[in-house]
Amino acid sequence: MRIATNSYTSTMLDQFSSLQTQMDNLQSQVSTGLSIQSSSDNPTAMDETLTDLTQKAKQTQYTSNIDSLQTRANTIYSTLDSLQTIVSKASEIATTAASGTSNSTSMTNYADEVNSLLNEVVSAANTKDPTTGDYLFGGTESSTTPYTSTTDSSGNITSVTYNGNSSVNAARISDTQTVSIDIPGENTTGTGTRGLITDSTSGADMINHLISLRDDLESGDTTAISATDSPNLTKDEDNITYQVAHNGTLQNQLSAASTLASGNTTTLNTDITNSSSASLTAVATELTSAETAYQAALETSAKIQQLSILNYIS
Amino acid sequence: MQTQMTAIEVAGQNISNVNTKGYSRQTADITTSPDVQSSVGSEGTGTTVTSIDQVVSQLLNSQIQSQSSTSGYWSGQQSALQSAQDAVNEYLSGTSTSSTSSTTASSDTSSSGLSTLLNNFFSAFSSLATSNSSSNQQATVNAAQNLANSFNNIDSALSSVRSSLNDTITSGVSSANQLLTNIAGLNQEINNAEAGGGNANDLRDEREQDLENLSDLTTINTSTSSNGAVNVAIGGQTLVSGYTVNDTLQTYDAGSGQLMVQTASGGVQLTLTGGSIQGTINARDNTLATVQGNLNTLANTVISQVNNVLDNGYNSTGGTGNTFFTGSDASSIAVNATMANNPALIQISGSSTSSGDTSLALQVSDLSNTAQSALNNQTFSGSYVSTITDLGTALDDANTEVTDQTTVSDMLSTQRSSVSGVNLDEEMTNLMSYQRAYEASANVVTTINTLLGDTMNLKS
Repeated sequence: MRIATNSYTSTMLDQFSSLQTQMDNLQSQVSTGLSIQSSSDNPTAMDETLTDLTQKAKQTQYTSNIDSLQTRANTIYSTLDSLQTIVSKASEIATTAASGTSNSTSMTNYADEVNSLLNEVVSAANTKDPTTGDYLFGGTESSTTPYTSTTDSSGNITSVTYNGNSSVNAARISDTQTVSIDIPGENTTGTGTRGLITDSTSGADMINHLISLRDDLESGDTTAISATDSPNLTKDEDNITYQVAHNGTLQNQLSAASTLASGNTTTLNTDITNSSSASLTAVATELTSAETAYQAALETSAKIQQLSILNYIS
Repeated sequence: MQTQMTAIEVAGQNISNVNTKGYSRQTADITTSPDVQSSVGSEGTGTTVTSIDQVVSQLLNSQIQSQSSTSGYWSGQQSALQSAQDAVNEYLSGTSTSSTSSTTASSDTSSSGLSTLLNNFFSAFSSLATSNSSSNQQATVNAAQNLANSFNNIDSALSSVRSSLNDTITSGVSSANQLLTNIAGLNQEINNAEAGGGNANDLRDEREQDLENLSDLTTINTSTSSNGAVNVAIGGQTLVSGYTVNDTLQTYDAGSGQLMVQTASGGVQLTLTGGSIQGTINARDNTLATVQGNLNTLANTVISQVNNVLDNGYNSTGGTGNTFFTGSDASSIAVNATMANNPALIQISGSSTSSGDTSLALQVSDLSNTAQSALNNQTFSGSYVSTITDLGTALDDANTEVTDQTTVSDMLSTQRSSVSGVNLDEEMTNLMSYQRAYEASANVVTTINTLLGDTMNLKS
């Protein structure tokens, strides 16, 4: 076949350009670690990668939700713990006072102690989430102080008002699960999350029960203490025990969801790697062979260009 | 000697055009001159150049012409779709982390475009569901603004791709008109040049080159008249007939800036089948229009679904009446300006009296998992990924076609240069052989001259 002189040049230029494109492509694979960068490189792999990245973003979000819910659940647990201590102390006082062995002075001392327990309960019920500043036990009315108290002339609490509601927020922790960590201060509806202080299901009404205990201690009404206050405080204790157990269940649910999310993330990372990552060994090998081909093309073209009959005639 | 001189000139012409695009090498057709009858029989009168011919293959030329239309079509598609992909800007990035034990480069792969922002938007609402705090409100509004801006930017980038494709079509049409004028002019010149016999080789090369360039822009049908003029028809309309341009091409607006091609004075709307003009039109009206349409539907669905939830809600002070997104498509989507300035107005509470209720934020974040009937029962990100994949597939196809067509074109032009191209070694060899023949002829003249001189000297 005849070869036209300028077809050498155009063929060589085509080859150079194609090899340079190839090397540039491989070079960018080495530097980014990605075998594809745009959809046109490999539409199917890009589709899978983008879908996986969306799934991964969800799992990351679940993990972040779980983290903040866990912090909140821990704060709630500390409050429950201190309430448990308070209510069992009050229970002890009631039992001791009801035995009838105390004189009026010690009854007054007990009443003072209950007053200070009452203040502690109100303050615990008004706890805020340290991260978000939300009131923890106001239901979804989280920006208003849940409990405001009315005091008599000597500063003792005579009654409290609950300013919250009985609803709680839910947050998503997996594709199929939402969880409500919060506990409303009061739930007299008999449905939904049980109330922390007042709850119609368990019969708990801790603050009013403590007020009644204090009043009975002050008046020395041991009959009322043993017949009404003691059994009522037991209901409050039971309610807190229930809340502690429920908190534990939720925390377990959170850590299970966390494990699930991190497992899913690992799987998705593997999938993303499979569909979009470059194999360094393969790329390095291809790069070497492309370089060799490029050098060979340069050398042969330089040789061929020198060959001409013009070198031999004068 | 004149014959050899002509042959040397032809070789010289070939050598000087070694790098001229579209040049077909020429050969001097040397034949023996008619002999003269003398008393001793027929006596030779030497040689003459009967014609200077082009070495061309008409078959290859017509193949290259039709190949040009196909290549042009796919190149038009490729450059249009590449611009669209750049406009959408959905690219993966990562950092190569090589480890000695692993042969795979693991990367913190992420994506640059709307998909990430769509994920961030729904994630922000998911965080907001855990607490209606002011920092979460701010983050949500920011994520929504980023999403809206990205929609706006992509839409405006796609619109400018569309208008630059229209510019490409307009400039393609004006190049085609120029080529039509050139071809008609060359028909005339070739006829004039060949009127006295002989071949207007260089003008024919030039016309062939123009026909190929025109084929690259649009599919043409050619026919040759008896006088050698090439008639050109585009889309069934004869535009060049003999020496005159009957009609030229013109763009017209088929509605909302959709430029199409028609004949200028006849006003006949043309259906083109190949060439870069049609490639550009097809990419604009099919893939690009679909991508733009899908993004508008996506933006519209995001706006309506999110507003549908939040319009029923209350902000943390029990207020209502501030819609979240304004606008209706990718170009107009925006976060309500009042809310952008005061994120506390976000209405995620289901009750006017529950400042901390986040139930609507959970509903919005759950929208990301919901199949939307307006999006062919796909989720938001599913629909977006399909759009990207369709665009990528179209571009991938165009890339493959361009590569394939380039291979075919290269093969055809190699074949053509094998027939018509100039080989310097060959021309130099020819040149030497003509030179030798010239020298020999000159020697004959010298010999005759010497003999004649000797004869003249007999007298003295």
